This record gives sequence, structure tokens and C-alpha cells, in this order.
Amino acid sequence: MFEKLPETFRSHGLQADVRTLLLFRKAIDSNLVKTLGDAYQVLKAFVVKDPSSLGPYTKAYYEYFLNIDIHPGERLNDAIIRSESFRNWKEDYQAKNDDTENWTMDDWVDKFLSLVHLTQYDIKRVIDGKSIFDKDDPHLKDEISDGVEEDAKEHRLDTMADYSELSLEELLERMEQIADEQKSRHDGGSHWIGTGGISPYGHGGAAKGGIRKGGTGGGKLARKVLADPNFFPVDRDALINDNNVDAALASLKGIFEESAQDFLDVDKTIKEGLKRAGLFLPELTKKFDEKLQVILLIDNGGWSMTPYVRTIQELFKKMKTRFAQDLETYYFHNTIYDKVYKDPRRTKGVYLERLLKKDPNYKVFIIGDAAMAPYELSRLSVGSLKAIQDKFKKTVWLNPEPARYWNHTLTTNIIKQIFKMYPLTPRGIEKAVQHINKKTSK
Amino acid sequence: MANKSFWEGSKHYLCERDLAQSFHMARVLGMPLLIEGEPGTGKTELPIQYANDTNSELFVYPVGSKSNIEQFVARFDHVKYLRDSQIEVLNAQREEKGLKTSLSTGGRNPNNLADYVAKGPAAKAFSSPNSVLLIDEIDKAPREFPNDLLYALSHRKFVMPESGEILEISEEEMPAIVITSNREQELPTAFKGRCIYHYIQFPDADTMRLIIEKHFEKLDDKVINVALDIFYHLRTIGLERAPTTRELLNWLKYSKQFSSKEAIEKMEKLDGLGALVKTQTDLERVQRMILTSPEDFKKRSNPN
Repeated sequence: MFEKLPETFRSHGLQADVRTLLLFRKAIDSNLVKTLGDAYQVLKAFVVKDPSSLGPYTKAYYEYFLNIDIHPGERLNDAIIRSESFRNWKEDYQAKNDDTENWTMDDWVDKFLSLVHLTQYDIKRVIDGKSIFDKDDPHLKDEISDGVEEDAKEHRLDTMADYSELSLEELLERMEQIADEQKSRHDGGSHWIGTGGISPYGHGGAAKGGIRKGGTGGGKLARKVLADPNFFPVDRDALINDNNVDAALASLKGIFEESAQDFLDVDKTIKEGLKRAGLFLPELTKKFDEKLQVILLIDNGGWSMTPYVRTIQELFKKMKTRFAQDLETYYFHNTIYDKVYKDPRRTKGVYLERLLKKDPNYKVFIIGDAAMAPYELSRLSVGSLKAIQDKFKKTVWLNPEPARYWNHTLTTNIIKQIFKMYPLTPRGIEKAVQHINKKTSK
Repeated sequence: MANKSFWEGSKHYLCERDLAQSFHMARVLGMPLLIEGEPGTGKTELPIQYANDTNSELFVYPVGSKSNIEQFVARFDHVKYLRDSQIEVLNAQREEKGLKTSLSTGGRNPNNLADYVAKGPAAKAFSSPNSVLLIDEIDKAPREFPNDLLYALSHRKFVMPESGEILEISEEEMPAIVITSNREQELPTAFKGRCIYHYIQFPDADTMRLIIEKHFEKLDDKVINVALDIFYHLRTIGLERAPTTRELLNWLKYSKQFSSKEAIEKMEKLDGLGALVKTQTDLERVQRMILTSPEDFKKRSNPN
């Protein structure tokens, strides 16, 4: 069932695998999935793990289930209008309902969206709408106040009942079949939304009379999401999995910090107890926690660094996960003069002096290719670099450029004399970490 | 059978449809619900209100930077154990010397190891069926914590330290687990994978009105209009820390003591701004805006 689903999600840069399918299957078994709208919600909960995946997810969902392919930057409305599924559904709907003459295209899309995102809770709400209605629910009043006729309600009950009689196997089979058809055959039409007979709202049932104006929550959200750049960030590389870079970083050791918690020092208790001829009194010691402080300085300017930006971002993300409690990141261009910057665009400057006032226990990673025009390595900037090295004994320079080229670049050679330099590879990082962990001999 | 029915908020809490559905899904599938979203959007309120509304027992574990899995599940109190066993020795000595009084171990018996297991919220929640377990602000935890937690939660079974007692609960009676996070730290992918994820969207004006109505029943519509207008305006001007639902509710609470007319006047003058704006720079900025273009501000806050 739905074998192609994870693939579709993955092609949109989302994380999905066979477990997603198993979970989805479990959800279906638990009666959580009865409509397409339910499927949207359920899969969303399994696949979307941060707000920025919501956009790609919505796109993948429309592609897989509705065969609606949304071009980059396109509005959802336009993509829907363009699609075959929508056209077929519209024709079909028009043929079965005669009150649609005055509908504008927007009305049609709204209707379409409200059907697609209709959930079983919407349906249930209409069915037992009356009883909830009596319970003084202002939220509901808003939604169904515009004329729910008695017979329409009955009708909905019917369609819902029809639907629930289908066995699970049958249902799954059909869902799969339809998804497949919609993928391969473009004339397949939208069984989901229309004549297939399986959809609970196939005959204009449940949603007639407007459960919500302008699409249900899901529809509204989908539209908002697809128009919002916040949900389509430029950099949405997923966190890379634990691999050797992580392992290399894992060996970073921090300094120990005292915490409020006491614990029983067994060794000391025994020792002291023996001294007291067997009278054991609990000896407590403070618990010490490891605390890791890291400063990250990233050279993100200039064309020479562009090829490495991706690698660095990945590393940076790793660091963020590991040292979230105390990781500070600054940016610079080629070399450091009197300032570093807090933001990648280098608008918010921070004076180096301030950086140098920090706890000397900070571990400093400088990431840059150290290649620049020789005049940039002026007395000032060499001074700055030296100041950093003097202050923070545990500083390393990670160079994305392969080590065999280092000797051919003048500036790299100079910087190499100031800092310990390692290549930006798992092995290089491991060595850098080993260097950092070495006890500094004074 | 556990309470697996659909819950969509109570008298005092508006649970948005999406969230309600995710929460329902989590309970049905027996998975933890992970809620993220801006601070002050009612993440923590959900389990609290749910527990209240359904009369379930609620167990809360506030996560801090020193949290570990032992605090969460259970730990063996070695100190007490040692103390009590010493007391037994002392008591025996006292008896030998003919002393009548004996020292008390507070009802604990050193022979019964279970007396010395201090149960954490997780163990408690798992030993009372159909309870609610809230793990608050997990993003404050050390990196290992989420993964340890995951293991503990997915087995539905805890082995108590030293005593070896096993706490187990069936999937039907499993507590509803809600985890909240402010996204201060990225959680491990594996952890997120085992949770039902929900991101709370910031409520729009209509929803916000409903939320306000849930909190303050008898508030004048006009007051709400003015408040909402100013509130959403403040959110758009790009403050360092944009006000959230919590701040708005506090502000309204403050204004409630006045008559509607008075309240509107006060609001337009941004009286009680401290409830809404939380940093010095923001405060200065807003005040400058009122000074330079009070008309503009008034116009916005009074569309009629």
C-alpha cells in the first residue's frame, strides 16, 4: 500500500521511510483516516517535523494524492485551476448540482479545498451538530450558522454511513488504486473528490451548505503556507544523520561545572566508615556536569568560500545540535580585523575586544579557506588572529581546502603559523578535536 | 478503555482544530505529542486543561538544563537507605544497652528496597492508568535526554532501580503524553520521528477573539476590537520580542478593572504597555512611535 508515498516525500526533501507507511497503516487501522483531509492531517503529523517542512509537505501531498503539481512560487489557487483533477471534479460537480451557475473561479477553488481538507471531525461535527450546538459552543456557532437544513443533515448521515460500511481492505485498495491511477493516467479524474462513490462527500453531501467558508482549516493553511516564504526557506537541508563527523565531534570534552545536585560518594563513605570502625555515614559530593563552550567563526564571504558553504552549513548544524547550550557563531570575511559579525550578512558587528573578554575556556573553531589577497593579512589582522590564539588556547582552524594545496597559498601559510590548521574532513575534525582536548601545558 | 475520544477544548481553553486532531491522533496511536510554537501560545495549557476537563491525573516534568532520565523515571535514594540501615544497627546497640527508646526510620523498612525508590513523574504516570503526562520545555534539556526519554517511553515499561520492580502499562491505558518545546535547540531526528509533531500557528484575529472570549466572558466587544488592533499592529512592526497571546491576555486583564470607555481610552494611550512589550529597546521604540505619529497610531487602533 502506498509504496510510492515515501518516495514522493523524499523527493521533496522530507524524511519518510517504511516506518511512515507502517504508522500510516496503524492510523488507518485505528480509524483515524477516513477522508482525504484526514490523510493530510495524519501524514502531516508523521512527516512534518519542523515548520519549514510544512510547505514542501503540502506540495508533496497535492502531488501524490491529487496529482496537482505546484510550480515553484505558484499560488495554490492557480495550480489547482490548472490541474486536470480539478477540471474533472468541477465538471462532475456541475453535472450533479444546479446551484453553481453564479460561482466564480474562487468559489470553485474554495469548494474544492474545503472538500479536499474535509476531515471526519468536520463530518461528525455536522452529524451531531445539533447536540453540540445546544451546548453553547461559540466556536461552532460561527461555522454552521449559515443555514444547515434538516434534510441536508440527514443526507450527510447517509453518506457517512455508506462510507463506513466499506471494509478496511476495500478502502485501502481503493485509495491505492486511485492514487496510482491519478499518477499514471491523466484522464483518471479525481475519484477522491467526486464520483468514485467512496468519498463521503461525493455527492455534494457533507460539505454542502458550507461547513466553513473559504475552505476548512487545512485548506486555509495550505494556501497560506504555499504563499509564505517562511515555509520555504532557502536552506532546508535536513539535519544530517549521525555519521563520522558527529563521531569526531562527540569526542569534544568540556570543562566540568558544579551543579546543585548532590550524590552519594560510595568510595568515600566506605573509606570514612572503615576509619570510624564500621559506622558508615553518608558522604556527599557535588555532582559535576560537563559544560562545553564553543565559539564558531565562519568565513562566509567571497567566491573562494562558496563551494564549501554547504559542507560548512552541515557542520554548523551538527554543532548547533550538540552544543545548543553554549555555542556562539560569528562571521567574517577572509580575515578578522577589529570586528566579527553576528549575522551571515555581516551587518551586526561585534568588536573583537568584546569577543576577547569571554571566558578563556571557550573552544574556538575558525572555519575558512585562509586564501586571500596578501594585502588583506595586514599587521592589524595578523594581530587580531594572534590575539585570538593568545586568549583562547583551544583554537583550531578548519580549512575546507584540501591540505595538499595549502603550501601553495601564501596567506594560508602565514595563518598556519598562527593556528593549528586541519582540513575540514571527518578525519581532520577528529584531529582538531584531539588537539583541543589535549591538556595545555603552561 | 482509555479516553480516546476527540477532545476539542474546554470552557476555558480553545483548542484549535488542527491541534485537537493531532492530540487525538497521539492518544489513539499511543505516541507522545510534541508541540512547538512561539512562546505564549498555550502549549503547556493543552495538557493542563485536558486533564482538568477530563478529570484525569496530571503529572508534570519541567525540564531544565540538568535534567536526566533518573529524575524523570525513578531513582534509588541511597542516602536514605544508608541512614536507615545505620539506624537499625544503632537501635540494636541501644537495645543491648537497655535503652527503651529507639530511632525511627519513618515507616521504611531497609529489607524492602522498594521503600527507597523515589518515583519521578514518569513512573507515577505509568502506574496510574489514563493519566496525563506533561514534559515541559524539552528543548532546555541536555542533548542525551530526549534520546533516553524516547527509549523509556516507547517500551511502556520501567524497571525500578535496585528493587527491580517493574511498572508496565497497556497501550489502552497509556497516559496521554504531551511534550512542549520552544525550539531553542533542534531535537534529534530520531526523537521527533517517534512523536506526533504539531507546530502551533500564531492565531489570527478571529481565533484570538474566540480565545479572549474563553478567558473573559463579559468583555465589551469594542474593547476587544481596540485591543486586537493594537496588538496585531505591534506584532507587525518587528519588535525584538513580539507580544503573544499571553501578553495580550494579561493586558486585557489589567484593563478589565476599568469601565469600557475608560479602558479604550487607556488602551489607545497604550497604558499598561509593560504587559505587552517586554524589552527596553522595544518599549522605547513604541513610545517614540506614539510621540511622532500619535494620529497614525490612533487611526490604526480605532478603525471606526
